[in-house]
Amino acid sequence: MAEETILADDLLRQLMSVGEVDLLVGISAHGSANRADRAFYVIEQCFQQYFTRQRAVIVNVCGGRSGESGACEPELIDQTEKSADFSNLPSLRTIHKVTADFSVPPSQGMALRTILTAADLLRARACAIISPATANLTPGWIANLLAPAYREKFDFVAPLYTRHKFQGLLARTLLYPLGRAVFGCGIRELYSDEWGFSGRLAATCLNQDVWHEDPIQSRPEAWMAISAMSPEFRCCQAFLGQKIQLAAGSGPDIVEVFRQTVGNLFWCIESRQASWLDRDTTEFVQTFGLDHDLTSEPSDLNRHRLFEMFRSGVTELEPILGSILAPETHAEINSIVSLEEGRFRFKSDLWVRTLYDFAASYHHAVINRDHLVQALVPLYRGMTYSFLMEHSDSSAAEMEAVNESLCVEFERLKPYLREKWKAKVEVKS
Amino acid sequence: MAPPKDNLWYKDAVIYQLHVRTFCDSNADGVGDFAGLTQRLDYLQDLGITAIWLLPFFPSPLRDDGYDIADYMSVNSSYGSLEDFKEFLTAAHARGIRIIIEMVLNHTSDQHPWFKEARSSRDNPKRDWYVWSDTDTRYQGVCIIFVDTETSNWAWDPISKSYYWHRFFSHQPDLNFDNPAVLEALWNVMTFWLDMGVDGFRFDAVPYLVEREGTPCENLPETHAIIRNLRQRLDSAYPGKMLLAEANNWPAKVRAYFGDGDEFHTAFHFPLMPRMFMSVKLEDRKPIIDIFDQTPEIPDNCQWCIFLRNHDELTLEMVSDVERDYMYDEYAMDKTMRINRGIRRRLAPMMDNDRRRIELLNGLLMSMPGTPIVYYGDEIGMGDNIYLGDRNGVRTPMQWNGDANAGFSTADPERLYSPVISNAVYGYQAINVESQKRSEHSILCWMRFLIKLRNSFQVFGRGSIQFLKPANHRVLAYTRQLGEEIVLVVNNLSSSAQAVELDVRRFKGYLPIEMFGRNLFPRFGDLPYLLTLGPYQFYWFQLRRI
Repeated sequence: MAEETILADDLLRQLMSVGEVDLLVGISAHGSANRADRAFYVIEQCFQQYFTRQRAVIVNVCGGRSGESGACEPELIDQTEKSADFSNLPSLRTIHKVTADFSVPPSQGMALRTILTAADLLRARACAIISPATANLTPGWIANLLAPAYREKFDFVAPLYTRHKFQGLLARTLLYPLGRAVFGCGIRELYSDEWGFSGRLAATCLNQDVWHEDPIQSRPEAWMAISAMSPEFRCCQAFLGQKIQLAAGSGPDIVEVFRQTVGNLFWCIESRQASWLDRDTTEFVQTFGLDHDLTSEPSDLNRHRLFEMFRSGVTELEPILGSILAPETHAEINSIVSLEEGRFRFKSDLWVRTLYDFAASYHHAVINRDHLVQALVPLYRGMTYSFLMEHSDSSAAEMEAVNESLCVEFERLKPYLREKWKAKVEVKS
Repeated sequence: MAPPKDNLWYKDAVIYQLHVRTFCDSNADGVGDFAGLTQRLDYLQDLGITAIWLLPFFPSPLRDDGYDIADYMSVNSSYGSLEDFKEFLTAAHARGIRIIIEMVLNHTSDQHPWFKEARSSRDNPKRDWYVWSDTDTRYQGVCIIFVDTETSNWAWDPISKSYYWHRFFSHQPDLNFDNPAVLEALWNVMTFWLDMGVDGFRFDAVPYLVEREGTPCENLPETHAIIRNLRQRLDSAYPGKMLLAEANNWPAKVRAYFGDGDEFHTAFHFPLMPRMFMSVKLEDRKPIIDIFDQTPEIPDNCQWCIFLRNHDELTLEMVSDVERDYMYDEYAMDKTMRINRGIRRRLAPMMDNDRRRIELLNGLLMSMPGTPIVYYGDEIGMGDNIYLGDRNGVRTPMQWNGDANAGFSTADPERLYSPVISNAVYGYQAINVESQKRSEHSILCWMRFLIKLRNSFQVFGRGSIQFLKPANHRVLAYTRQLGEEIVLVVNNLSSSAQAVELDVRRFKGYLPIEMFGRNLFPRFGDLPYLLTLGPYQFYWFQLRRI
């Protein structure tokens, strides 16, 4: 019986002409099709500069032109790229450029699935996904993602970025420590626009029966990273430097961000429970380049507004929080909500237990899961306010130490999560 | 194909390159000679080649395989006499084979009487026939060609106590073309051999004839003036003769040596050769397409000469550092295989004795634009001996049969100028002309067929080329066209079977006839033409409007 393929005939024909490859880079992002040419250009430079001998293909699944001319419009080339002109570099091989035409822009899950299918068909050894929405994408970035998979046989390569000490707080205070404690693997950036992976992992992920799931359709990258957190695969991180995102309007609001990341992570925790419930240790993750880089320029965050939104949110969501949180956790939240702004602190153990309560309640589906995730937002604001107040004058090194101690707290309290997870819960309608 | 009467015979030629020393020894002294070569002309005629390019056979100390000439107008006694050469020439012409000889005009041996006179005193009339200096600081920055052996382009002459200029080995002083007498002397040399009946000259080391301060001393305008001068004399006095340039340079630079059709008739296309090897190893047509993109048009009466291997190393001068590293890693992992900036190996060992790849490369050689040159022994898949010094590993005796000394000589084996190849894979017992003649599927018989096929279609020598660029980069496809004569060549450069769709709409209605078996293939239409090719397989299709 013929195997089902998600590849359109035209894409399949293009891939047939490519044949087996060593490297595959997929271009995938919503709303950035007009930047695909620039991405083609930078990826091509990457191959010419770092992988001269390897058989390589670029698979564009976000639309835009195929870049068949090999040229890139000058205005699309950043100054940094101009100063390092690679146009005269020799390229031993044909660099293939394949573009999948979709009648409507594909979901991120569909885009990834297409890329994984291409990687599987072409037997690619190492792959990377990049987003043309990253303004300062460089050949070196892509090489840093490909090289560990191609040369060091890693199966998943997560990116690391230079951050302002108050930037990426959602990742540093929630996603990273929660993911690290639960899955026992310290990947800092579970949700990113670029990452690398092996052909082996691509084939494994492709064969999972998850592609119809909403969380996979919207944000498949953390699921892929978590899929690699198993004994049969090797994960690592690669430092890329500062990331500058192209301005694309105001971006999604925090509730939507929570749905896409926190909700997605809760779904991963649920769907991968067999892999972590009995796991107590955290694996060291090798990092290529710096393992973190924080900057500390002055920040203009409106802390007062954060606190007000925390207080009003908790008050409004009181009944819902009562159904999600354990009674002790709920009581502690209620007690700090009445504190004066200047004395308010959200202690890390409370934050950890709060998150574990949410994760367990998500598992038990005590309320609509979407509503549950939304209910976490005000608490996160409170945690963020507390974090900013406590660490406004902390150095980058001190911030890193704080982050590490938070992770340790998550790991220490993992039995609490396990207990809540396994508890029989009465679901309130 | 009736031979045209336009003196452009070199466009249709298939040239066979050999050194008389290596081919056949008639007098049992261990060294090949003209009498022996004459005996083997029937073999070469049967092979289908139409010209022989002879490596230097002049008296010489043989410190550079004869490119260090001590007498331009005689034959090295080891190879016979002038009379032997004349007999050989007559016999070759009788078989329709033209003879091209070497013209080493950049330098002589330091044993040449001209140099002996020149160094004897600063007042000698021949003194100014060479390039002298009291210091070794003139022409600073000019590159050294034989980097493995030479540290300077100047050498100290203890006799006349001054430095002389040499671009090659220090025992090869450069002639001074600023002295008109030198040009006259060399023209006399040419007329000496032209009067005898030779059909062409391969000019050695052309770019280096003239030196000027502040320049790389290569490809100077004065050099072109010298070539035009000689060409004019040649055309006037000896129409139909041919000059072939050895200028190891990029096609755009070599193009200058064709002038307006008034300098060289032909020139080697050096950069194509490594790229053919590269393409097959990479399984990617890109290197070949790239170099043709950089190859300019040449005058109608001119022609590129293309080759796979020759008596020198497989030169990697005309490749990038990245490409050179790749070639070394893929074809010369053992550093013994490397010399200067190149690889001293023969075709068959470089192809791991893979018959399919050897055929593919020869198929490319015979079907691409240019006059193909076959290096002696490659038509039977001879091996090399990388343990012999310099480039002697690709200059071993021709393997005629499985008898002692490979049938090359009846001398004692110890007396041979070089040991024969005798290993289990490439040894003369396994690889020789006699045994391959007896097997119609041997590479020799296949080469004979290939050459005869090429000789039957003038389009290969004179036609234009247009590359088809199907999506499958492992397939190199091109059409050759000369008027109504059209050939489509499709090559699978990879080690696995490939499918390819060719856009042949401009030949809609044409019937492709597979040229090796004369089989008809389906007619071209509007749709992409689908072909499947086995590993390293290639097709030549004659396109006919029927």
